Amino acid sequence: MQAGVAIKGARVQGGRALRLRILAIDTALGLCAACVQQDDAETPLSAESLVMERGHAEALLPLIERVMARVDGGFKSLDRVAVTIGPGSFTGIRVGIAAARAIGLAAKIPVVGVTSLTAFAAPLVARGQQRLVGAAIDARHGHVFFQAVAPGGRSVVNARHISIRDAARALGAGPAVLAGSGAGLVAAEARALGVDVSTEGVNMAPQIAWVARLGLTADPATALPKPFYLRPADAKPQTAAQIPRQPVPQ
Amino acid sequence: MAKDRRSDYRLFQNNSETTMRDTRPALVTMRILGLETTCDETAAAVVSCDGEGRGHILANEVLSQIAEHAAYGGVVPEIAARAHVESLDLLVARALARAGLDLSDMDGIAAAAGPGLIGGVIVGLTAAKALALVAGKPFIAVNHLEGHALTARLTDSVAFPYLLLLASGGHTQLVCVRGVGDYIRLGTTIDDAIGEAFDKTAKMLGLPYPGGPEVEKEALRGDPERFNLPRPMLRRDVPDFSLSGLKTAVRLEAERIAPLSATDVADLCASFQAAVVDVIVDRSRVALRAFHAAAGNPTALVVAGGVAANQMIRAALQRFAAEAGLRLVTPPPALCTDNAAMIAWAGLERLRLDLTDDLTAPARARWPLDSMRA
Repeated sequence: MQAGVAIKGARVQGGRALRLRILAIDTALGLCAACVQQDDAETPLSAESLVMERGHAEALLPLIERVMARVDGGFKSLDRVAVTIGPGSFTGIRVGIAAARAIGLAAKIPVVGVTSLTAFAAPLVARGQQRLVGAAIDARHGHVFFQAVAPGGRSVVNARHISIRDAARALGAGPAVLAGSGAGLVAAEARALGVDVSTEGVNMAPQIAWVARLGLTADPATALPKPFYLRPADAKPQTAAQIPRQPVPQ
Repeated sequence: MAKDRRSDYRLFQNNSETTMRDTRPALVTMRILGLETTCDETAAAVVSCDGEGRGHILANEVLSQIAEHAAYGGVVPEIAARAHVESLDLLVARALARAGLDLSDMDGIAAAAGPGLIGGVIVGLTAAKALALVAGKPFIAVNHLEGHALTARLTDSVAFPYLLLLASGGHTQLVCVRGVGDYIRLGTTIDDAIGEAFDKTAKMLGLPYPGGPEVEKEALRGDPERFNLPRPMLRRDVPDFSLSGLKTAVRLEAERIAPLSATDVADLCASFQAAVVDVIVDRSRVALRAFHAAAGNPTALVVAGGVAANQMIRAALQRFAAEAGLRLVTPPPALCTDNAAMIAWAGLERLRLDLTDDLTAPARARWPLDSMRA
């Protein structure tokens, strides 16, 4: 499913004119980034990325204001908003989605969600690969958010939260190319298993222009701007500390 | 075209000359959209003020997350933040639709920027900034406590200065409200909030969440004198609260007689509530003395926050206010618990004093009311 979006995004490179202008936003990982992309242009009309571990909530809207100030027509000229929905930092995901959905509401335009993993894999998939393409995001504690597609776009591993070891095993015999902030972790493990694997685009966050390109081809009816956490909230029901009560007479 | 614009400008100048003769701040009809996401209510509201400065609620949408948190016996921050981002934009759209207005009809967009659960605050703050940026409207970062503090001016046009008892699950404060952004915190809790003490008592007695209304219900049929519980801080000179000792006393009594019968639970609730009522009245009396010293005579005693919905506490404060010759103002329960109308109203009060914020305004987990500057 996610892989399909990436493949579709890649085919747009062929030059089909979409006549769409999109604002893309990414705050899910180590960047605070936005760009405005017109159709399938080589470079965005306007873009800005700041390296950022925390503080996205304060930095994002001023950044969007600067990015929009550099394009003619402002928000009224936008046809669509795209946002990375994760996986990534829970708070970062929500900053981007809250902003994107509010912009969509105010500008009365559709908002689409793009997963971080798809955006990491897209530039590799777009070039056409004879290898397996994987995207990995470091989820700490020996785990990654991971997704892999075979040449041609068939999904090998759907996006999930798995151990680095299991991600490496999922590559089979390879060959494979890995992108994303956790690519190095999975590649090291895979090489130890004797897999032919290389890494490319080992960045802290996807390229914002690729978030825009994927957003242009996404279907607003299915690519919803909802968080894609891949991990449940850390909470346990509390039953302790309750003082025993007498049984209620029937 | 240019000519038209010039005549508009002249018209505007004439208007401001008219209002300049008035000594009060210029009062114009304003409409504000407010967002609230600091705890477990996702809310959006539209509030206006008329030519006389009176407030009107045009829409007040609240989506409670009680069901999401019930299994945990309290608000789980990550679950709250997840719920806020799923529904906030829908509530904004619904509030505007109910008011019959478009975002372009607003004069400003306000959001609670804290204090509260930071994950949720970030959602509301970010959304409000985005709405303001796209619509080209002023943005106002509102202190959630100021929202509670100014609600009595929305509902009852209460004049400054007044004494405020703010008591909820997260906050317990006695405040001298001198003006917008001008607060003296006379007293606060040194441990649990009053609402928190109710909730924790309910939890230890096995009552459903949220516990405040459940304790009140049980107390109605209980004996408030069966258990001799402490009244912490009674008669201390500074009107602070301390509730954790009272909570522990309830626990010790309950453990002593466990397993608890239905009557035991009702009596424990009644005794606990009676102790809280005594403490609240005593602390309010001390706060009133401090108020006189700081700001003269208050125009009213205002009670806000979820605890103000408790009938026993209301009745006791009514007796205290009557005895002190004070008008008691308690906004309706729906405006005492967390809501966005109070955020929109505080935003309106600030906007008409030209107190706006830029898009870098931070989300704050902690933001004491008396640290604000008008």
